[in-house]
Amino acid sequence: MPDSENLLIATLPWRDRTALLALCEAVPLMQGAVLAGPGQPIRHVYFPDEGFISLVTAIDGVPALEVGMIGREGMLGMQLSLGVGDVPLHALVQGEGRAQRIEAAPFQLELARSEALRRQMSRYVYVLLDQLAGGAACTRFHGIAPRLARWLLMSHDRAGSRRLHLTHESLAAMLGVRRVGITRAAGDLQRLGLVTYHRGQITVLDPDGLAQAACGCYAADGRAYRRMFG
Amino acid sequence: MADMSDALKNHLLAALPAEEWARWRAALEPVEMPLGHVLYESGVAMTHVYFPTTSIVSLLYVMEDGASAEIAVVGNEGIVGISLFMGGETTPSRSVVQSAGQGYRMRGQFMKEEFSRSSPVLHLLLRYTQALITQMAQTAVCNRHHSLDQQLCRWLLLSLDRLEKPELAMTQELIANMLGVRREGVTEAASDLQKAGLIKYRRGHITVLDRAGLEQRTCECYAVVKKEYDRLLPEAVAH
Repeated sequence: MPDSENLLIATLPWRDRTALLALCEAVPLMQGAVLAGPGQPIRHVYFPDEGFISLVTAIDGVPALEVGMIGREGMLGMQLSLGVGDVPLHALVQGEGRAQRIEAAPFQLELARSEALRRQMSRYVYVLLDQLAGGAACTRFHGIAPRLARWLLMSHDRAGSRRLHLTHESLAAMLGVRRVGITRAAGDLQRLGLVTYHRGQITVLDPDGLAQAACGCYAADGRAYRRMFG
Repeated sequence: MADMSDALKNHLLAALPAEEWARWRAALEPVEMPLGHVLYESGVAMTHVYFPTTSIVSLLYVMEDGASAEIAVVGNEGIVGISLFMGGETTPSRSVVQSAGQGYRMRGQFMKEEFSRSSPVLHLLLRYTQALITQMAQTAVCNRHHSLDQQLCRWLLLSLDRLEKPELAMTQELIANMLGVRREGVTEAASDLQKAGLIKYRRGHITVLDRAGLEQRTCECYAVVKKEYDRLLPEAVAH
């Protein structure tokens, strides 16, 4: 049976955790892989152990804004717990890593069987809703540099590594801004000694300093998560 | 027992199986929902959930510095207070009546019991949650990328879908708060729509004159949300 570092799995009581892990298959999360998209039936759910998946809204089929991020604190495919068979967003691996995956049908059976799993899924939906709502307001009011700092911290928390492979282009798509805005904001964070950026690789040097530079939404996210999962 | 036919103007209530409806009708209480009334403050414990019938409720996310932006609207298609059955005692958003009217409310505890007791209720509410998630995601991306003019059209259309008459009691101040923009911007956009003959704006009242015109002028976001709601949620059906 695979062992998992996923925190959502870890919060399950022993019996339910064991049952879920028995269904899991360990798979790599490959940079750039698209794990789900609008109109595609969910084939697998993913519980990341390391790395992260971005939930992206598209306009005219082009990624236009990230509205959620899933790392080892969460899972992709919670729609199944809502009785819906697809994810209305593009799920894109942005931080390479590993995940436990389960085919949709056995996962649904396990959901029907395990009340603890259903309860944790509900709590996770609440956290995602909070992230979504907060993100909408953050996008509206906060500057690019604080948003970039927040995004890097969220990635850093989830990736399990200080290094991220990302172009300014893809960061621009995540934050829904123009590329030059990202270049300028990343330059500012680099001059403050918080990150280094070299050929598509961003390294977080000073997470505490980055937290100072980020908007309050980063801290608010953390509080929402702890309220639900302790 | 009181005449509950008005409650069935709410599509979720109307979609309940007879057995559930028999239990729920005694637990529902009609409420007036005047313009600007706050149903919940963010972070405050929720005692009731609300089912709007002729009113529209705006969910606003309030940031630490007090600035707020609308993340979704809920009208006769939905319920306010889903956090309760998601396991949260408080909601991260503030719920404000943005179009005056009536609704029904029910004690949160009753709702939680029904949620775990009845699978049709569970199914209905979970699908509603998914529809709301789509609306929130689309609102976020729309705020980021589309013009105020387009956002205003989207907002008017979403409101229109939830009203019986094509009229909103609404000030520009309130619209500006909803969209998270300055009032001057709303004044300008509304006056453009009026010049184009799509709406009429008079002393806190907006009348939509040309719905098809608004649909043409808005961004794709309205259609994306509408399609998802149509797919996931029940049509209004009579008992």
